[in-house]
Amino acid sequence: MAADHSHDHVSHDHDDGGDVHVHISPSRFYWGIFGALVCLTIATVKVSYYDFGSANILIALVIATMKASLVAAFFMHLRYDKLFNTLAFLAAFLFLGIFILLTYDDVGVRAHDHGYAQKMSLETGMQAPGGEPATSATADDVAGEGHEGAPPSGSAGHEPKKE
Amino acid sequence: MANVSDTAGAAGHAGHDAHAGRPFMQHHFDTPTQQFNASKLGMWVFIATEILMFGGLFCAYAVERGLEPGIFDEAHHFLNKIMGASNTIVLLFSSLTAALAVRSAQVGKRNLTSFYLVVTILCACAFLVIKYFEYSHKFHLGLLPGHCFGHPGMSAAIQNGQEVGTCLHTDVSKAPVTPEWVRAVDEEGHVTLLPPRANMFFGLYFVMTGLHGLHVIIGMSILTWVLVKNIKGKFSPQYFTPVDLGALYWHLVDLVWIYLFPLLYLVGKPE
Repeated sequence: MAADHSHDHVSHDHDDGGDVHVHISPSRFYWGIFGALVCLTIATVKVSYYDFGSANILIALVIATMKASLVAAFFMHLRYDKLFNTLAFLAAFLFLGIFILLTYDDVGVRAHDHGYAQKMSLETGMQAPGGEPATSATADDVAGEGHEGAPPSGSAGHEPKKE
Repeated sequence: MANVSDTAGAAGHAGHDAHAGRPFMQHHFDTPTQQFNASKLGMWVFIATEILMFGGLFCAYAVERGLEPGIFDEAHHFLNKIMGASNTIVLLFSSLTAALAVRSAQVGKRNLTSFYLVVTILCACAFLVIKYFEYSHKFHLGLLPGHCFGHPGMSAAIQNGQEVGTCLHTDVSKAPVTPEWVRAVDEEGHVTLLPPRANMFFGLYFVMTGLHGLHVIIGMSILTWVLVKNIKGKFSPQYFTPVDLGALYWHLVDLVWIYLFPLLYLVGKPE
């Protein structure tokens, strides 16, 4: 049942009017990929019971990426597909990487999180952009103000508290 | 269908012959291969946009985790690893049957294609049932995102030192318990303390798994539509594009879950 069509077709569209020819993997091959995916799932759960410190997330992501690669390459046929489809797929991850790295870097470098709303620069100890105005108010008070208009700067700390 | 000469110079009539006996061919394509490749590329571009949509949530996850890893360490113990792993296996199996459905369509075994599509849809139902039990557990404990966080059984603002429960990892009497620590009581009456802003974790959990669950439901609908067309005999080894693309969508659902599962259920300090 698996044998009859399991050989590799190369597209030769000029003698058959351009009929679609694709690589057809044997059923047993797909079951093998599934077995590998289950093994990796069990591995990632088992590993999670041990503490490797900050490497925990790295190990989890490496195993997840191995699983995702198996799914994309064989279940989604990227391995036998046009290369351009792979490029479109990987481009998404490239731009996702840029997005996450720049955002992560921005949040980490620009400000230190003080409570809910205020940002303070780690280097200067001054108010940093990205937070609510630096009043001595609590988070709830700050949340009530500061929505509209430019945040008051400089002397904002001396404003009387509302409510 | 046999001797078609689709030389490029035949002034638009080459494609005409290629359409003979091929009801699936759209008039603006020359050959079935061209149509197939165009459909596939379109699907892959769509998959790329889907990854970027989920990417916004993964970015939020990275930022929140970077700012406050502690709440992830504590709060993720409220997720059941075994249920998450079962759901992973269910989704992987449904991906297998989706791939086998495509293979059956490629070799023209129509009934087998229907069988595998039905199995895939049933696995999707099983996934949603397990997810339902997980969600109702969280609802019951009041572990909800944002302002909904909290429950009659969960009192916010415990006073420093007055209330001593057992935190999951640290002895609370030694931990810097501030008024914002939240006391969560589970069904058996065990008291656990969650750090301030633990609702952030459950917000991410519900939005990420919720958007994924929405994709599961959409994927089920697409596969059902493909199943109906397959039963009507619309597909053949020359034309199985909807089966292929429907399965690609389903694999995407699987791919997202492959990352969601470890990031939400597994990373963090083990107990």
